[in-house]
Amino acid sequence: MALLELSGLTKRFGAFIALDDISLLIERGEVHCLLGENGAGKSTLCNLVFGVHRPDGGTMTLGGEPFDPRGPAEALQRGVVMVHQHFSLVPTMSVAENLMLGRASAVLKPQDIMVRMEQLAAEYGLEIDPEARIDELSVGERQRVEIIKCLLGDPQLLVLDEPTAVLQPDEIDALLAICRQVALRGKSVILVTHKLGEISRVADRTTVLRQGRIIETVAMDGADIRSLVRSMVGRDVQSAGSVLAAAVDVEGKTPAKPSDAAGPVSPGEAVLQISDLVYRDPHGVPRLDGLSLTVGTGEIVGIAGVEGNGQTELGLILAGLASPSAGAIVVGGTPVAGCTPQEITDAGVGIVPEDRHAVACIRELSVAENLFLGAIGKFSRFGLLDKSARRKAAEAMMRDFDVRASSPDVSMASLSGGNQQKAVLARELSLDPLVFLLAAQPTRGLDVGAIEAVYNRIRAARDDGLGVLLISSELEELMAVSDRIAVIYRGKLVGELAAGSFSREAIGAMMSGHAHV
Amino acid sequence: MVMKNPKLARVAQGARLEFVPLQVLVPVVATLIALGIGLLIIAATGASVLEAIEAFWDGMAGSDFNIGASINRAISLALVGLGFIFASRANLTNVGGEGQIAMGGMFATAAALHGAGGLPLGLAFIVPLAVGTVAGAVWGGLAGFLKAARGTNEVISTLLLSFIALPLVYWSVESFHLLRKPISDVSSLPESAEIPDTTKLPLLFPDNGSPLHIGLLIAAIAVVVVWLVLKHSTLGLRLRAVGLNTTASRRAGMRTSFYVILAMTVSGGLGGLGGAIMILGQQFYLTSDFSSGYGFDGLVVGLLSRGSAVGVVIGALLFGFLRSGSINMEISAHVPSAVVLICQGLIVIVIAGSAILTNRKVTR
Repeated sequence: MALLELSGLTKRFGAFIALDDISLLIERGEVHCLLGENGAGKSTLCNLVFGVHRPDGGTMTLGGEPFDPRGPAEALQRGVVMVHQHFSLVPTMSVAENLMLGRASAVLKPQDIMVRMEQLAAEYGLEIDPEARIDELSVGERQRVEIIKCLLGDPQLLVLDEPTAVLQPDEIDALLAICRQVALRGKSVILVTHKLGEISRVADRTTVLRQGRIIETVAMDGADIRSLVRSMVGRDVQSAGSVLAAAVDVEGKTPAKPSDAAGPVSPGEAVLQISDLVYRDPHGVPRLDGLSLTVGTGEIVGIAGVEGNGQTELGLILAGLASPSAGAIVVGGTPVAGCTPQEITDAGVGIVPEDRHAVACIRELSVAENLFLGAIGKFSRFGLLDKSARRKAAEAMMRDFDVRASSPDVSMASLSGGNQQKAVLARELSLDPLVFLLAAQPTRGLDVGAIEAVYNRIRAARDDGLGVLLISSELEELMAVSDRIAVIYRGKLVGELAAGSFSREAIGAMMSGHAHV
Repeated sequence: MVMKNPKLARVAQGARLEFVPLQVLVPVVATLIALGIGLLIIAATGASVLEAIEAFWDGMAGSDFNIGASINRAISLALVGLGFIFASRANLTNVGGEGQIAMGGMFATAAALHGAGGLPLGLAFIVPLAVGTVAGAVWGGLAGFLKAARGTNEVISTLLLSFIALPLVYWSVESFHLLRKPISDVSSLPESAEIPDTTKLPLLFPDNGSPLHIGLLIAAIAVVVVWLVLKHSTLGLRLRAVGLNTTASRRAGMRTSFYVILAMTVSGGLGGLGGAIMILGQQFYLTSDFSSGYGFDGLVVGLLSRGSAVGVVIGALLFGFLRSGSINMEISAHVPSAVVLICQGLIVIVIAGSAILTNRKVTR
């Protein structure tokens, strides 16, 4: 008998139908993947199962008995646990203290937690230092704490909402292994993702959602990945080869040939020159340690590396949000190291920052306001805003860059991640002058269609003669888009590969510090 | 595409269908409930409720004089409230209205007593107003500077700056070499001499005995200017951007520290102007507690307005009239004016509490 049975579930938010007549069986001991683009209803479905929202129609049964959780507490009681995209941990407390939160009765029993943690470590390989403070842990380790928190109570059903979006490749491997372990012990796992590579590695069955409906549920042995993509997107993705491989992280695809990139391969004069860049964080730890790099006009240079090796700092320095401790950066003849963001913009630098929400845009402001965030004074008379002129300009820009929103006046937060990113690209690529573009993790969290659009924009910018620096933690992405890949390790570039000689193995070796080039 | 985000689709719909009428309804109902409770308390003190209501009404609006006095009170409250919403546009909470009023009033008195009185062409009162505004602006700007330079929380710094400003006023009226008037007989209080007639604000209706002065016009101009700046100017949008997301604003080329300091300076300046108007328009001499609670009432006015300049006007009038009524109620009906303070507190709590209710209704 199935563990969880959903029949005819419907959920509306106002006039918007988030889930429409969903019927689904989750078997005991299976890893069941939910696949779909952003907004397809995956998260909503999870939230219904976990009691965050209540369905407007339909019923659920859990273990054969009616299941209608009025809140997460009730779901927890019935053995349903969920790891959300955003963690609910107290950063200043230790792992053990966090694990005791919410399940401690009046008397705290740290020993019990320790014992249970050891059991879980032995059973699932979930090792972690109980004394470590959460804010000292990496994202992957924090997620591990969340999973331990979920497994402490020996649940029946584990729901993971896009758990891999924030992880490194090796962390993803570990997480998928944990999912299999959980399933092996007769529990069920619901895993939300839009990366097909993960699904083919871990899922027993996969359900594809699109616009709130179930398109199909398929068993994974012998399933055709390509047909899953078609169900998910609702059409054939055009430049299927490289873009698809990168976007959905399909294992075993041959890396993109540079001919796919189809642009001018011979770079012109240097547009960005970084020499001996050093950055020490406030604790004196060198995050960038003598990094030197040149990007020419009409060239996309990719920076590969395991996250935390200085990419973030490089991005912040190029954006003018951090000052280097030493070294020089020259853009088109203008030295910009340590300059203000405005001076850097004036030098012709466009920035697509790594953190879209914290740096690239202001979610509460409208799309139009975000499109002209750096040029607020452009549409004004005597200090008063000329909103109609701005709206017109914004509409034109949204058309050019295919930013889909009902109006330029809706808030940025109401856009999907892909459209937000297109808006950021629109703003940065419309700068005048513009000679260089930094794109840091430009497709993080985006769905297939949007990833394709972002790649096309970056390529088009290159073809227009811009120098582009692409920082990404997705190897497939770098190989699909870059004309040249440099590998960063501990704040230094340790190797470089020219187009045509990209190989996962070589790059991977350099990323992990075994550089032999 | 937009509607793909269910949360926002919901909020957008809620905003259109429910939120707007509730926003008007809630303060009105809150005020009525609070007044009702106030009446119960009056009855409990043993005083005659009818007599109290009559005295209250008389004090608020029983005569041209009382109406004028009520509006005069509202003027200073409105200026402090405008200052509050100006700072809050940049996501800054200026709770130091009391101190900014105190500084504005003190320096305006000093200017009026020492030099401004002889100036021609209305400069006799314009200069003290300007001096008071600058004094308040410096007091507010100081908090802005601390925030921009050291990250000091502006709630703490503005509050503590008030604790410094109030004793400064006390000191100034206690010390003969500062503002205290010379002792002429044994009953001389620690207060400043009366400011010269030329420095007093001209009355709007000098013929009918109403004390209403041109502070009303100044406040009206301030309301329009603040509304324009916050809603329709590039400066307002920049303040908002900086308040919402400092890093993104910095990346977009804004000098975020400058806007933090500017917001607090303007906010404090409006408070200082309010203090100067209190001295030049009505009180005419400085006493140690001349600002008694206006700063905090103004803060509440700003809070209740939810960032709208029109809301500030409504709130300031409400509190101005309540204050006048309560003073008269205490004098003629022997009901403690504390009852009105309790009502004001109740209004705040009910409005704040119901805001949580309405917000939850929208976001659920």
